[in-house]
Amino acid sequence: MSEFAVKVERLSKYYQIGNTRSASLRESISARIKSFTKGKSSEKGIFWALDDINFTLKKGVAMGIIGNNGAGKSTLLKILSRITEPSKGRFEMNGKVSSLLEVGTGFHPELTGRENVYLNGTILGMKRREVKNKFDEIVTFSGVEKFIDTPVKHYSSGMKVRLAFAVAAHLEPEILIIDEVLAVGDIEFQKKCLGKMNEVTGNGRSVLFVSHNMGAVSKLCDYGILLQDGKVKKQGDIQEVIRDYTNKATSSNLYLKESLENDKSHNIVRVYTTNSNQQSESYFKHDENIFLHIEFVASELVRDLNICISVYNDIGRAIFTSDRSLENYKIGIECINKAIVKIPANLLTNGEYSFLAAIHNPYSGAIEYLEYICPISVQDNGTPYLKYVGRWFHGDVFVDCHWDFS
Amino acid sequence: MNRIIVDADKSSFSLNIRELLSYRDLFYVLSYRDLRVRYAQTFLGLLWAGIQPIATLMILTLIFGRAISVDTGGIPYPLFALAGMTVWNYFSFVMAQSGSSIILAQEMVKKIYFPRIIIPFSKGIVGFVDFLITFLFLMVLMFYYNYTPTIRILYSLLFILLTVLASLGVGVWLSALTIRYRDFQHIVPFMVQLGLYVTPIAYPSTLIPEKYLLYYYINPMAGIVEGFRWSLIGGLPLNQYVYISFVCAFLLFISGLIYFKRTEKIIADIV
Repeated sequence: MSEFAVKVERLSKYYQIGNTRSASLRESISARIKSFTKGKSSEKGIFWALDDINFTLKKGVAMGIIGNNGAGKSTLLKILSRITEPSKGRFEMNGKVSSLLEVGTGFHPELTGRENVYLNGTILGMKRREVKNKFDEIVTFSGVEKFIDTPVKHYSSGMKVRLAFAVAAHLEPEILIIDEVLAVGDIEFQKKCLGKMNEVTGNGRSVLFVSHNMGAVSKLCDYGILLQDGKVKKQGDIQEVIRDYTNKATSSNLYLKESLENDKSHNIVRVYTTNSNQQSESYFKHDENIFLHIEFVASELVRDLNICISVYNDIGRAIFTSDRSLENYKIGIECINKAIVKIPANLLTNGEYSFLAAIHNPYSGAIEYLEYICPISVQDNGTPYLKYVGRWFHGDVFVDCHWDFS
Repeated sequence: MNRIIVDADKSSFSLNIRELLSYRDLFYVLSYRDLRVRYAQTFLGLLWAGIQPIATLMILTLIFGRAISVDTGGIPYPLFALAGMTVWNYFSFVMAQSGSSIILAQEMVKKIYFPRIIIPFSKGIVGFVDFLITFLFLMVLMFYYNYTPTIRILYSLLFILLTVLASLGVGVWLSALTIRYRDFQHIVPFMVQLGLYVTPIAYPSTLIPEKYLLYYYINPMAGIVEGFRWSLIGGLPLNQYVYISFVCAFLLFISGLIYFKRTEKIIADIV
């Protein structure tokens, strides 16, 4: 009996740039002739999506794979899901594998909910008998009982996602590979699924989880690897890996404008978040102050301008905005001006947030408007509401209301 | 204990029958989906599977039976043509459907693993519904013309099997080729059209000059159509060239599997 669930050794994958799409006959024939007359084609068009990846996932451990876009996370999942083959190296898996790179794979709009449950279930690797046994449970979980015999094309997109999720949540693999499928559907249902996934990991199953949602990763996983440019940058305890990822200079809590846009009188050049110690941070406890630093350059003096920030929740809806007129401040021309916004502690609840930073004229519109920048995550550090996390969405902000009983 | 080992340095060409068997439910479910979807929201539904061959048969009868009146060796023309159409329709349907099957399933192929060969193979089942309807119609016509099948009808099973092999063989080839070269999407309809003329469906092979027969039977359906017709309604004995067709059908199937296996590894990278 082997101890590991997944063992990856020297795994590499390269793509031929510009030649990955399926070609037409003409291109392919002319390429053949060229390579025949000029000898072997050069290696310059090769892109290493993954370069010498090594790790071992022990049984019963949940591992988070994090990294920037293009770091190779999806390629790694695709190889481990056997959708595509590695160019070099090998991997071994012990146990029944289910991979969820999306929910509702193969759903057909003309088929009824019932038929799609069977279709999707078998595509995900269940036997028809298994689907049949779990059918009632799946339908109850999805909450679309009433429409189960209606063609899926008449479903709302929310219903479709719920049904698809319900099927996925009832897989019983020993190794579960999940991409950011949790990023769809309404919050309530996401939380329900996170709960179900927690159950899954609790049952001694091994999980490989890719997500940008650091909150979900830290909640679900014990172990993590950080990918950067196709290589393993760090692996180990998930909290440490997340910290390493979010503290990097190039990390996502920093917005950096490479060069000034000359058609704008004002350019926001740098935005980042720090904690009270002035250290760059994108991972906060709920009882910590969050400082948003905005650096901007003005090329001329313009009257009646405001600078503002908004905080967005994880579905991209603004929770609040803070707006200040620039009239009362001394703005330097052709130099960096800095504004620091303090977002008070004990305001944001457990979850993912991002920011808007803008310089605008309140009447005529925005000069600079940067949305969804500097994503951060806030963790509930033990409020009475912590018990609801993962089960019930209790809101984006804490408000200390006054209660009177009589 | 499930154990999966993937090693880039060791390539295997085996078909992995055991894995295919473990995915047989997916095979059924995909076929069921195609059947359900095919006639969903059509007013006449499954009737279409009967209307199409009848219409074609009427046209063929008018042109080849009446206007040109080809020599069928004494067999009533509608019966002659329908016997050929029964297997040919299955072949052309399965060839076209499985040929485009991987391209049409690319969203699925990019998101989940299963033995890809299931996709073109499942079309082989879908084609049987139309086949059975046409076959039933053929039986009715035989009864109408007072043709009683002899013990030779048992051979028809062999010819049906060969039809399946030939259709899936060509289909699997095309499905893999279409992924690499989209040109084949345009070639397939042309092949179906051309095939109707170079296969003895509307006319007997006796019209083909002897010196060309060797090449004529490279088309696997040429021999299979004649064989199927002979096993049901008799008529002219089979000539010695038909075996070329049978061998071709078999070779197409085997080579198709090999080519598909080789393409399978890179499907998700190039679709």
